[in-house]
Amino acid sequence: MSYSTFNQEQNNPLTEPMFLGNSVNVARYDQQKHSIFEKLIEKQISFFWRPEEIDVSRDRIDFDKLTASEKHVFISNLKYQTLLDSIQGRSPNIALLPIVSLPELETWIETWSFFETIHSRSYTHILRNLFSDPSEVFEDIVINEQIKIRANDISQYYDDLIFYTQLLQTHGEGDVVIDGETHTITKREIKKKLFLCINSVNALEAIRFYVSFACTFAFAERELMEGNAKIIKLIARDENVHLTSTQHILNLWQYGEDDPEMKEIAEELRDEAYEIFMTAVKQEKQWAHYLFKDGSMIGLNESMLCQYVEYIANLRMQAIGFDAPFENQRSNPLPWMNKYLVSDNVQVAPQESEITSYLVGQIDSEVNASDLGDFDL
Amino acid sequence: MTNTFKVKVNGGPELAVDATEGTLLEALEKHQLEMNYHCRSGFCGACRSTLKSGKVRYTTEPLAYVRKGDILPCCCVPESDLDLDH
Ligand code: FES
Ligand SMILES: [Fe+2]
Ligand SMILES: [Fe+2]
Repeated sequence: MSYSTFNQEQNNPLTEPMFLGNSVNVARYDQQKHSIFEKLIEKQISFFWRPEEIDVSRDRIDFDKLTASEKHVFISNLKYQTLLDSIQGRSPNIALLPIVSLPELETWIETWSFFETIHSRSYTHILRNLFSDPSEVFEDIVINEQIKIRANDISQYYDDLIFYTQLLQTHGEGDVVIDGETHTITKREIKKKLFLCINSVNALEAIRFYVSFACTFAFAERELMEGNAKIIKLIARDENVHLTSTQHILNLWQYGEDDPEMKEIAEELRDEAYEIFMTAVKQEKQWAHYLFKDGSMIGLNESMLCQYVEYIANLRMQAIGFDAPFENQRSNPLPWMNKYLVSDNVQVAPQESEITSYLVGQIDSEVNASDLGDFDL
Repeated sequence: MTNTFKVKVNGGPELAVDATEGTLLEALEKHQLEMNYHCRSGFCGACRSTLKSGKVRYTTEPLAYVRKGDILPCCCVPESDLDLDH
């Protein structure tokens, strides 16, 4: 049962399930059970970007012009995104790699997590530009109650799966007593935890980012904080690829195109999966409330954001086989969002797609001393 | 052989769509329909619609999971008259 970094047993990855079969030995892609994951690897890699390439220097001037409540919106969202990517940069690796059984899926998970680390580094890039010492912002992430509630809700499913996998891989199936508590370890139990975990990650990438994205793009609509918007646009594009991968996993299970036991579990835990999504919706609405507690920003308020959460939840939930839960929110309340979510290799009318300072290296960074007001240079 | 097909969306009127002129998504936008989309290139699934009848052809291979009975209008064109829910 213990994990081996090179499983010497001869196995046929074409007949393995995605997870909890034999561990992967040879990283080979000449034959694939679910070739979609290699296609997602290629897509994701084709989107490679580096935070350092994006000039965010003008944002510092814009930031100074924001009202106190707008600054709260901007910084709170950065904190929340930092939390989300801190979790996503490590958890798919730690939770899923020990139990993955297909080489193409293993490599997808590694690619996915790697891109989350780019996102994490980009937040430091943004914050370093805004503050000479951004540590106060980072330190608040583990203190701020609003963030902590969300952190707990997201990490619990990963942590639970990781813990039970560790028990399986050290003790095998059966009862294990840890600190006086008995844990019954069966593969099926772990598969249930895996199912809930993937649903939670799916909800995270499906909707948890979008309140924050909407605020960023609302600033950009006013030609404010455009360096940041450029980074968030790249992050949003990556997130849509990640989301597609968990939608694939969930649908493959549901349709019985992978592990038959996972098909049963998907049916058995359907209500719980639905609740995970609806809890995320509720928390995002509460987050919108927290953001605007001291006042809204031009072009966006709490109720518009909540409508957008419902709109996007409808799309995301239908993608994994649920009915749209918010029937009266079928049209997009923030239509301008879409132009920032279009993938760049598609041409739309330039005046629609362009954030003023979009192109890397083509930013007019002309700044004169008076613009900088009382900054110390 | 004609390239123009009749496309009905959400039980609305029949719209003429020329399969040689852009994707189904673009065609429906030209008819002033408000369409859901993000990536416009087949990987996010935001444009997902239900195909009640008819046939489409993908011009780009979709990377989003296409559930049975669904289509992704951002990367396909009609191959027959269509009846969709979006
Ligand atoms: S808009 Fe992304 S798949 Fe169609
Ligand atoms: Fe991310
Ligand atoms: Fe992600």
